[in-house]
Amino acid sequence: MKRFLETGNFAITEGAILAGCRFFAGYPITPATELAEAMSLRLPQEGGVYLQAEDECAAMHMCIGAALGGMKAMTATSGPGFILYADPYGWAIGCETPLVVLNSGRVGPVSGITGAPGQGEFYLTRYPTQGGNFETIVLAPNSAQECMAMTVEAFYLAERFRMPVTVLADQLITDGFEDISVPENDGEMKEMSFRVWPRKINQGPKFYPPSDEIDIAPVVLGHNTGALCSDWTPTEEGYDIEEVEAHHKHAYRLIYKVRNHRDLFSHHYDKKFMSDDPDLIVVSFGTPSRVVNSAVAKARSQGLKVGALRLINLWPFPDELFTARSKYLVVELNWDGQLVREVQRAVPKDSKVHFLGICGDLPTMHDLLTTFEKIIKNEPLSRRGWELEAW
Amino acid sequence: MKDRIEIVASGFGGQGVVRLGQIIGETAVKQGLHVTMLKSHGTEMRGGYVRSQVVLSKDLIDSPMCESPDYFVALSSAAYKRFKDTVPEEGLIIYDPAFVDEIDKGLECSHKTFPAKDLSMKHFNNALFANTLVLGRMAGLIEALNKDLVLESMLEIIPKFHDKNRKAFQIGYDYADA
Repeated sequence: MKRFLETGNFAITEGAILAGCRFFAGYPITPATELAEAMSLRLPQEGGVYLQAEDECAAMHMCIGAALGGMKAMTATSGPGFILYADPYGWAIGCETPLVVLNSGRVGPVSGITGAPGQGEFYLTRYPTQGGNFETIVLAPNSAQECMAMTVEAFYLAERFRMPVTVLADQLITDGFEDISVPENDGEMKEMSFRVWPRKINQGPKFYPPSDEIDIAPVVLGHNTGALCSDWTPTEEGYDIEEVEAHHKHAYRLIYKVRNHRDLFSHHYDKKFMSDDPDLIVVSFGTPSRVVNSAVAKARSQGLKVGALRLINLWPFPDELFTARSKYLVVELNWDGQLVREVQRAVPKDSKVHFLGICGDLPTMHDLLTTFEKIIKNEPLSRRGWELEAW
Repeated sequence: MKDRIEIVASGFGGQGVVRLGQIIGETAVKQGLHVTMLKSHGTEMRGGYVRSQVVLSKDLIDSPMCESPDYFVALSSAAYKRFKDTVPEEGLIIYDPAFVDEIDKGLECSHKTFPAKDLSMKHFNNALFANTLVLGRMAGLIEALNKDLVLESMLEIIPKFHDKNRKAFQIGYDYADA
């Protein structure tokens, strides 16, 4: 195991290479530029290909091309680039192309603030393209080390489900430095619970079965497979067909291959101080969860019965984690409240859900502890003159 | 050492604030510690606002935020004003008087001046070595850091001018408070 002080961007690059990624196309954007830089250095060393595209839309289409050629591929960006993936993301979902996409969140909308963290794409990663009739898989790490682990996992899931998988990080972890350990052999990868699924080639003649089955080898063009791929509804053999019943079968597959096999990744969450029915459950994902963990530990030492629930698998949303009748506080790096809406939907009817939104920086322990105390004492929340409850 | 050491450095883009944090972090990794270092900055890489927050600990680090820094290196007046109130009583602010012209005498923490820019001009006729001078000073002040490993990490991370950087590091390390 090698130990480094490195950025999350570096950790993701190494994770991708460990998972077998040998193609990267992207367009530079803070805070994912250093990932492109690292890929441009590392991929040629591993016999892979790095391409700087003319824009994000082209970059992700190039990744689809590489995946259809039989390679494991990934691209990386931030919010302003992620929105340009809308077209190729739809292609990758529809053509069932395994890919990994990294979105490192900064402050939005539009260019917003480049060198500061945000979590404004919680819903965008659920609906990254038009048309509906699909599920997405989104994983949200909270450290550089976990960035590596979740990148490896994203490649694994992408292969088994034949679809793009998004890793949703933020500026603080991709740009920030941390001590990370990089495994050097299969044994060490196993020790770190990294799972790798090999790239397979579908030899046909059935390429698009109308079922919820997973582990069907991806479609690869050429290689004597006889496979076809387009943006239209495919028949089982891969021919185009524009017809509602066939499209319904295709969409059923896109939705239920994920919904019916969630057990493959539903263990991706983290609970702290949750075993004694806490009076307040603090829900978060990504970097803010680390301050939440520190604040919850501190609150416990002060006698407040608070627990922390961190989501790693964001989509499909893990409703099953929200069965406790309790008070909830959702902490997010945005001011509009996104995750909080989903939590409100998932909790038992008589639970009260509160929101603490901060953007461009992490919440402080002081912010969190004051908020915990007020909620537990049923005092109204307010901060810097802003009404917290208006989300 | 303490369970957790927090170090904040802030100034303008181009002063080497991020490099400074990175070298301290790399040293700590070599010493077998856990490290986090957050950096935040404006759009401009030069001239804009930059901050790095380093946490060192023997244990895994949850919050990477420096909410009560043990050491705060202020390399601009704006940075000083923004973070001075976060430094606790037992904390230390190290500032360069070339950038921070007025200090808050009401604070309970200690202050140390370190004229990095002037020293860099005096010894090298160039302001470029100010951050290495600060690094040397930090290596002298932060007991948890092993001086030789700081130097080794610096030479790994800074690609050029090794002789001058070595010299600047030593001048900073040997600097005695007036």
